[in-house]
Amino acid sequence: MMIPLWLIPLFPLLGVLVLTAIALTSSPNEKGADEGLVGFLGVLFPSLAFIATVMLSVNMPVGGYRETIGTWFDIQVFHADFGLLFDGLSRIMLLFVTGIGSLIVLYSMGYMHGDRGFARFFAYMNLFLFSMIVLVLSDNLPLTFLGWEGVGLCSYLLIGFWNADTKNCKAANKAFLVNRVGDVGFLLGMLALVSVGGSSLLAYPELAAWLVNPEMGEQLLAGMPLLTLAGFLLFLGCTGKSAQIPLVTWLPDAMAGPTPVSALIHAATMVTAGVYLVVRLSPLFAILPEVLMTITVIGLLTALWAAIAGLFQNDIKKVLAYSTISQLGYMFMAAGVAAFDASIFHVFTHAFFKAALFLGAGAVIHSLAGEQDMRKMGGMLRKTPVTATVMVFAFLAIIGFPFFAGFWSKDLILEHLFMFNHFWGPVFYTIALLTAVITAVYMTRLMVLTFFGSYRGSAESEKHIHEAPFCMLFPMIVLTLGSVFAGFLWAGLIPGADFFKNWLAPVVAVPQMTATQYIGVPSAHVSTWMFAALGTLAAILGILIGWKAFSGPVPQAKGDCAPTGGKADWTFAFDKLHAWCGILPTRFLAWVTDVIVNRLVMFLQWFVGAVAVIFSDGVRSFQVRKVRMQLGFSILGMLAVLVIAAIYGGSL
Amino acid sequence: MLLHVLVFAPFLAALLMVAASHHDYRSASRLAVLFAAALTVGSVMLIAAGSVSTTPHEWFFIPGCNATVYYVLASHGFGAWLVFLSSIVGLAALIAARSALEAHYRNFAVGVFALMGALNGTFLAGDAVLFFFFFEAMVVPAAVLIGAYGGTDRKSAALNFAIYTLAGSAPMAIALWYILAKAGSSNPFAIMLTIQMLPAHTQNILFWCFALAFWVKTPLFPFHGWQAQTYAEAPAPLSAILTGVMSKAGVFGFLYWVIPLFPMDNVANKMMWLGLLTAVYGSLMALRATDAKKLLAFSSMGHLGLAVAGLFALSASTLPAVLVLLVGHGLSASAQFLLTGVAERFAGSRNLADMGGLARRNPVFGFFFGFSGIAAIAIPGTVGFIGEFLVLLSLWSVGGLPAIVAGFCIILSAAYMLRFIQAVLFGKAKGSLAKAPAQRFLIGDGLAVVPLLILLLVFGFHPAPIANSVSMPTAEENSTDGGYDESWENASDVAGDSTAADAVLEDSLVTGTDSVSAAQEVPENAR
Amino acid sequence: MQAIYIQILALILLTIGLATALSRRNMFFVLMGIELSLNAVNLSLVGFAKTLPAAASIAGQIIPLFTIGVAAAEACVGLAVVILLFRNQETVDTDNYSNMKG
Repeated sequence: MMIPLWLIPLFPLLGVLVLTAIALTSSPNEKGADEGLVGFLGVLFPSLAFIATVMLSVNMPVGGYRETIGTWFDIQVFHADFGLLFDGLSRIMLLFVTGIGSLIVLYSMGYMHGDRGFARFFAYMNLFLFSMIVLVLSDNLPLTFLGWEGVGLCSYLLIGFWNADTKNCKAANKAFLVNRVGDVGFLLGMLALVSVGGSSLLAYPELAAWLVNPEMGEQLLAGMPLLTLAGFLLFLGCTGKSAQIPLVTWLPDAMAGPTPVSALIHAATMVTAGVYLVVRLSPLFAILPEVLMTITVIGLLTALWAAIAGLFQNDIKKVLAYSTISQLGYMFMAAGVAAFDASIFHVFTHAFFKAALFLGAGAVIHSLAGEQDMRKMGGMLRKTPVTATVMVFAFLAIIGFPFFAGFWSKDLILEHLFMFNHFWGPVFYTIALLTAVITAVYMTRLMVLTFFGSYRGSAESEKHIHEAPFCMLFPMIVLTLGSVFAGFLWAGLIPGADFFKNWLAPVVAVPQMTATQYIGVPSAHVSTWMFAALGTLAAILGILIGWKAFSGPVPQAKGDCAPTGGKADWTFAFDKLHAWCGILPTRFLAWVTDVIVNRLVMFLQWFVGAVAVIFSDGVRSFQVRKVRMQLGFSILGMLAVLVIAAIYGGSL
Repeated sequence: MLLHVLVFAPFLAALLMVAASHHDYRSASRLAVLFAAALTVGSVMLIAAGSVSTTPHEWFFIPGCNATVYYVLASHGFGAWLVFLSSIVGLAALIAARSALEAHYRNFAVGVFALMGALNGTFLAGDAVLFFFFFEAMVVPAAVLIGAYGGTDRKSAALNFAIYTLAGSAPMAIALWYILAKAGSSNPFAIMLTIQMLPAHTQNILFWCFALAFWVKTPLFPFHGWQAQTYAEAPAPLSAILTGVMSKAGVFGFLYWVIPLFPMDNVANKMMWLGLLTAVYGSLMALRATDAKKLLAFSSMGHLGLAVAGLFALSASTLPAVLVLLVGHGLSASAQFLLTGVAERFAGSRNLADMGGLARRNPVFGFFFGFSGIAAIAIPGTVGFIGEFLVLLSLWSVGGLPAIVAGFCIILSAAYMLRFIQAVLFGKAKGSLAKAPAQRFLIGDGLAVVPLLILLLVFGFHPAPIANSVSMPTAEENSTDGGYDESWENASDVAGDSTAADAVLEDSLVTGTDSVSAAQEVPENAR
Repeated sequence: MQAIYIQILALILLTIGLATALSRRNMFFVLMGIELSLNAVNLSLVGFAKTLPAAASIAGQIIPLFTIGVAAAEACVGLAVVILLFRNQETVDTDNYSNMKG
């Protein structure tokens, strides 16, 4: 059914305006705005956007819809439109962005209950959804960048939501700044593209058409170095948004925000924007084998590193944060071996199970009145059974237990990795499989510490433990259903169950074909069952190791929950790298500027001024206190002039 | 007619303000706001009118150098937008001054109107001497206002400001005198042709004399010594005008009175790197600033450095890029100065260590402050983004390295602005703010910045009015040689036609050195 | 009578006037000295005018008329200033007027 595309972003935008007005007008009031009304409005607008998306999704033509609302900016050498594109890729992204978004906003009604910034929170959430929709729906890079920065801004605002604590603000600043580095890459990448073939290349359909246009062959060949540069720069932007090496450090800190934010922005939607962009630009990346190789390697390293770091965390949300980074690594490796559809499929399933995990963790934290240290939890299975059930299902999905959502998508990625080429394929596959085992280990650790054993917190807090209210449980249950069944949309083992692949085919089939020409021959096909069996084995092995290692007594919690010693070295390796390569040099440069150069400039300025003052003091001494003396001086001066005139006879 | 009105109405308004009540600042402010609003309407009409100019009148004759000076005003898209900026920022400053200056309101308004008149004259002058006159004249009201209503260190700040800028433009006065003696007319087109006949050595000296004046005014490193102190000591509404409009006079001078007049092939690259150096320098200084208004002053320096760098990139997108950047910076920086003035009133100090936690204390203030801060770091959707993006585009056409340096500045600008927002809005109240009684955020202060913030958003999504007002002449128009002859004839006509000079000016921007050689051949053809 | 005698007289008057203005401390005497030297200049002008033919000498005679008028106005203002100064400082001694020294 055809309705205007701009309706989808319009609804959350209306939500932003209404909720901002409410938040501002109610701010002097101690009690704040009415939570029922604000919550209703906050959920209403995202749901309307979801309904609009569903209406558009039904019976969508193969090519999708494209719509240009107006011109954004148009100067002689640069043109950008407000163009929207609703095709197979943006359909899937939008469905889960608005769907999961609405569910999590509903969940927030319970989670944020009683907070003074209730209305502000919902305004930010709507702003986030607006930006995310723009990011996904736009048909050109500049407009995507608008959404890209918009979600970054919302991420900043929401991480620092509880801004009375400067620690949260620092985390927010860090997230924004690390992203900014990536964003500059994005900007320069766009410029590189423009200099290859003009600003029309920034629109995705035009870019795809240009790249396969045989008449452009020579121009394309000449532009290859610049295109490769553009590919690297744009990928730098993706590493920022999706927290990959080297711009990985901000995501764990981003957990300072409220848990629904972590679930929606820092797990399900925003952080996958980088993957989305790589897939969206797949026609470009498909002809750049060097960039694709880099993407794969970065994805692999990030996945492995983050999985190991996840083992060391005591904060329940930090474990999930590293797990998110690791899963994003999987998505990038899939994109790197040109399995763009598998990559998006993992984005899709991951959105369900990671959101469920975060919401479950949020419910646990909520029931423990803000306690996040897993060493002080335990035995929650009996106290909050519904939450525990949700978590168990999501847990099975993330470790890739057979027939849960994660099993199908991860299996697909591993298979594509293996078939990448003769030599690198098996190597990549082994690393990814090892990462899968570690994933199962740290997730088992999380489950054991949180839900099994006996409660390790204070007796005082034990009395207050309660199951979450319905408005929090409902979204969790829906997401659980997703994490159990979403995988069947593309179940490799079941013939005919590849709906997902067909939906994406109009967008990514051509690039995937192109990429195989550049990457080389895929290795011999091995049975799909073989991969499934190995994947299952990895999951079960991980559970066993995890159970064996962590079901024993838990060390007493002391101090904060940050890891120490060698564990900290591993976890904060990239923070150190940033400090040494980025922050400290900049600080030093700023110090030099401020303390040395500026002082020097100021000294010179003072020196010139001082010389002038000394000189003028000397002149001033002619100005005597007596009026008659001054008169005398002036007469003498006139005499002097006369004398000179007389001597030189006026010929001076 | 509109041009005359826009230049002289502010001076008339200043005279009329003298008649306003000295004691009742409310009634005086009503009158002042009315005048400023009328000026804003006039400036919008000027933008709508496009390229217009008045008929030149012989103003006076300089016997010493045998040159006739004309009184002629001309508006091109660039100048008209800066006049708009001066009107809207002046309006905001006059509204905000109600709470900031109270008892001194009337005298402050007199000064502000005089300043606005001088600024408008600078942006609209179509004659070199007239331009120089207004360019110098703006220093006087600004210095008087700083000296009269500034902070504790106001006298030294006012003196520093006045001496620095006047001394900076002294070489320009001498160079102008020399050129006038050679050219016999102060018409920019005649000046341009005269300069092109001079030997390269002389051209070079004259260029640096002219550049120095704008170098100090913008300011570019290393002549920025006056800026931080001046912006910090001036009352917040005046700082808003200084940074929002007056600093643009320097960039405007480079654009209209340096680039078209002088051959650029040797110096453009140097000036671009100088702009980038200033941008990095200002950003780094802002990163370490502890004084709220000095932080904003250095941030302003960073942005203007970027504008100058973009200007001297001399690419096809230069004009719209720089204009959009300037308008965006003018709006966001002046809003920030006005709001920082409010924060200063809350805390009783400009020191960042005396602020914090204002988002909880005054949520509405927090909203405005955060909004303006975020607009200043060029989030897409605000006009700052379009400006920075287009400048980046210009720099990219010169080379990758300048673009990377500019990208570094963009990262730095986010770093210091987030630090600033955090120090003012977040955390807990510290220092003198913690002890100060809670104050209300006045509606007047909100009203002052709302138009600025709305314009930031509107132009962010629809920059066409700005960007298209300076659209380049298309290639066909350029290639016709007749255009040159015609404009030469116009210029040799004693009256001089400033619009013709503008066409050449834009042309020399587009093609850089080519048009210079083209123009050199013109005189022979004409003879 | 030769023109030179008039000029000598004017010179003597000018010298007396300047000497008075420079040497006396009383403000009134200073003013009188200045008036005297002004008149000496007038005299000199008239004297020179007499050496020219009649038609041209008119200009030389008119200028002193102007000077006398201006000098009268100046004396008015000067005396008013002296009165104000006296009210302010309670003295007519010029050496005490040193407030403007930077």
